Amino acid sequence: MEKETVIRIEGVSKYFSKVIANKDVSFDVHKGEIMALLGENGAGKSTIMKVLYGLYTHDEGQIFIDGKKVNIASPRDAIEHGISMIQQHFSLVETHTVTENVILGTVKGKINMSSYNDKIKELCTLYGFDISPQSKIRDLSVGQQQKVEILKALYLNARVLIMDEPTAVLTPQEADSLMEFVKDFASKGGSVIFITHKMREVMSVANRIVVMKNGRVSGIVNAKDTNEKELSSLMMNSDNESIKTSVNAPTGPVALSVNNLSYIDKMGVKRLNDVSFYIKQGEIFGVIGVSGNGQDELAEILSGVINSGTGEIKLDNKDISSLSVRERIESGIGYLPLDRLKDGMIGDMTLSENLMIKESFKGGRWVKNGFLRIKDLKNYTEAKIKEYQVKASGESDLARSLSGGNAQKIVLAREVDAAKKLLILNQPTRGLDVGAVDRIHRIVISQMHEGKAVLLISTEISEIFDICSRFTVMYRGKLMGIYNNGDLSISEVGLLMAGVQV
Amino acid sequence: MNLNFFKKDGEFFKKGYAEIFLFNVLAIVIGLVISSLMLCFLKQNPFSVYAEVFKRIFNDKYSVGEIFVKATPLIFTSLAFAFTYKANLFNIGAQGQFYMGSIVAVALSLAIGDKVPTVIVILLVLILSCLAGALIGGLIGFAKAKTGANEFLVSMMSTYVVQNFMDFLLRTVLRETKAEYLQTNPIPANAFLPRIIPGTRVHLGTLIAVLFAIGVWVLLYKTALGYRIRAVGYNKDASEHAGINSKIIFITAFAISGALAGIAGFTEINGVQHMLLQNFNASIGSFGIGIAILANGHPIGIIFASLLFGFLNVAGTTMGRIPGLNIPASIIDLNEGIVMICVIVSYFLRMRYVSKKEKKRLLLSGGEV
Repeated sequence: MEKETVIRIEGVSKYFSKVIANKDVSFDVHKGEIMALLGENGAGKSTIMKVLYGLYTHDEGQIFIDGKKVNIASPRDAIEHGISMIQQHFSLVETHTVTENVILGTVKGKINMSSYNDKIKELCTLYGFDISPQSKIRDLSVGQQQKVEILKALYLNARVLIMDEPTAVLTPQEADSLMEFVKDFASKGGSVIFITHKMREVMSVANRIVVMKNGRVSGIVNAKDTNEKELSSLMMNSDNESIKTSVNAPTGPVALSVNNLSYIDKMGVKRLNDVSFYIKQGEIFGVIGVSGNGQDELAEILSGVINSGTGEIKLDNKDISSLSVRERIESGIGYLPLDRLKDGMIGDMTLSENLMIKESFKGGRWVKNGFLRIKDLKNYTEAKIKEYQVKASGESDLARSLSGGNAQKIVLAREVDAAKKLLILNQPTRGLDVGAVDRIHRIVISQMHEGKAVLLISTEISEIFDICSRFTVMYRGKLMGIYNNGDLSISEVGLLMAGVQV
Repeated sequence: MNLNFFKKDGEFFKKGYAEIFLFNVLAIVIGLVISSLMLCFLKQNPFSVYAEVFKRIFNDKYSVGEIFVKATPLIFTSLAFAFTYKANLFNIGAQGQFYMGSIVAVALSLAIGDKVPTVIVILLVLILSCLAGALIGGLIGFAKAKTGANEFLVSMMSTYVVQNFMDFLLRTVLRETKAEYLQTNPIPANAFLPRIIPGTRVHLGTLIAVLFAIGVWVLLYKTALGYRIRAVGYNKDASEHAGINSKIIFITAFAISGALAGIAGFTEINGVQHMLLQNFNASIGSFGIGIAILANGHPIGIIFASLLFGFLNVAGTTMGRIPGLNIPASIIDLNEGIVMICVIVSYFLRMRYVSKKEKKRLLLSGGEV
């Protein structure tokens, strides 16, 4: 079967000020094809698609559409070429109807709503969407809202649909229905580019798979000629296949034990499914998994931010599952949340004030008779800035003036102090440069030597292999077994992360 | 404060005080220029009118005193707005809380004013009018914390409720014995706040207002409670992750805010008016909002901003009294209103300027956030 090439990307590179997001990326997209763009977080999948959609401009290379070299400077240009992108976050007006959302920006003057309603209805029937054009967006489910986004693209006569992690927000049933649409759309001659890190999905719908790693294309394979093992080795960094086993398993008493922990979120999705594990004193226990498989919920439940889970959480043999956040802090838990800007620090307050936040209660370290011990706090902050080598001009700097790595050090300094017994770290090195990562790992290891229990949540296998003594893999809220560091190879862990038992 | 404060990398510039200062001074000047255009309509030379006004006010001890008298309730209502503003909440119902404080102040003064010594009356009225305001404020905070109701709307509407409650009382139990106007009997002289500067109407309430402003500053910046209120205001999520119960903070901040506005009722009833009447000081709540914005919510800045508006008020009165010019008394509200609008507009312009500057700084630092 001779395939007609719609889009050709040739040697495209995209540099941000300090990182290379894409380097020399080349691939084709054919007519009537479902192409998956597979890779870990930060592999550059979204960046190359944002280049194609005109959200970013590339620094090197060329893009051809229908064989002609094009310059896509904005999404408007992309749409004119028939390329539409369905973002992870929808841009819909909640209080408007489906039709109003679809035609938004394409109409002028007096609007004959009923004729537009008919047009949208036709599109829905053509692709089997179960949506009424007159219903309001806020009354639709997430899956239906996504279909409205797709309708917007179809209405603009898109022939190439880019979907950024489209199933991340969907229930399994909704995902199945989306897949059916994707196949239908391709069979009608459209092309679909599917950004994902879920191998299952890739294997079930894609014709061709472009695998990306560290901003480059690491392989282009036909779905029928490959298997999950090959894909996982293409996705993962294999340069440090040698596993470090220098961290010995501690023999001390158990600090944290979690038994049969389950949690169903407000949307009714089961985020944690019967999770049980323990961490000994002086041990770093790793939780690895692709983002969104329940790790964040686990951290929030242990720290008390979410308090509607079921199951048992024991710290030093005392049940803490009904304690408030504050009581858990007082019982010796430190928690470094994933989103440090939103949940971990207060950008508009000074470094001193940020270090104080967990000790600002009656009986807290920086409170005396209800007043703040400002002078002592300032001295303490200056000392911590030195100790953690934070690049800041002084304790009165606003937290938001710090770079990511330095801000992370400040939050870590606070949490290390708060963690008398247990330190929970959710992706502590995400987005940081190598130097900062190393510094943070050293701090975490020193905490282990002090006899604290550390729970390290990460998406980087190498991080887990470097500093954990035992680890578990999380997939869809379940633990895929608990292993000693050294038991598994990187590709085996990769398979577990994709939900495949080894 | 040392001179380092004003150096190029000192706190004055780093914390954005320089911008606040610049934008506010510009706003006030522009506001005064616009409002003096009104004088041109009356075929008056604004410069000579203002010169005359300045001369008359500052040559007259009584007029200077009036600036402080007018500023006193404004300090309280703007402190009230500023306090919730620090928790990222909006209490725009200070007028209602002020009325509640006034009702309690006048009722209590009438009831026990000549039965117990002045000190005790004053103290009791202070405490109870404070609690009355706190009750109204606390209820708004409670509605917000428990149901997520929009505190802006609830506090706004609460003003009308309290205002009508006051009217109700003025037509019934609190109505003067003569039953002629909608007002109460005058409170006994024993319950008056003592005047502190002879030859003026400046009363002890002014001093109390300044003390409260300092107290609020201490509370916000030196105590753990104030710190928690500010922390929740800046970032509720991070505060909750740190174990701070934001709902309790909402209620507390609103109760304190209401208490501050309630005290204004006490200083106005016992210090100035000595009775309660319909439409009593009807605009101090809304001016409080503008003054708090002018002072960027800083309690000490509020003292000075309130004095500025006290001055505008007295200047308007004086203008109306200059013989032969026939300037209508509405010039008072016109002046204050225009300056207030300029201040509020400049607040948003300043925010835009600051966020632009911030973006530029991030770009220059290479996008590393």
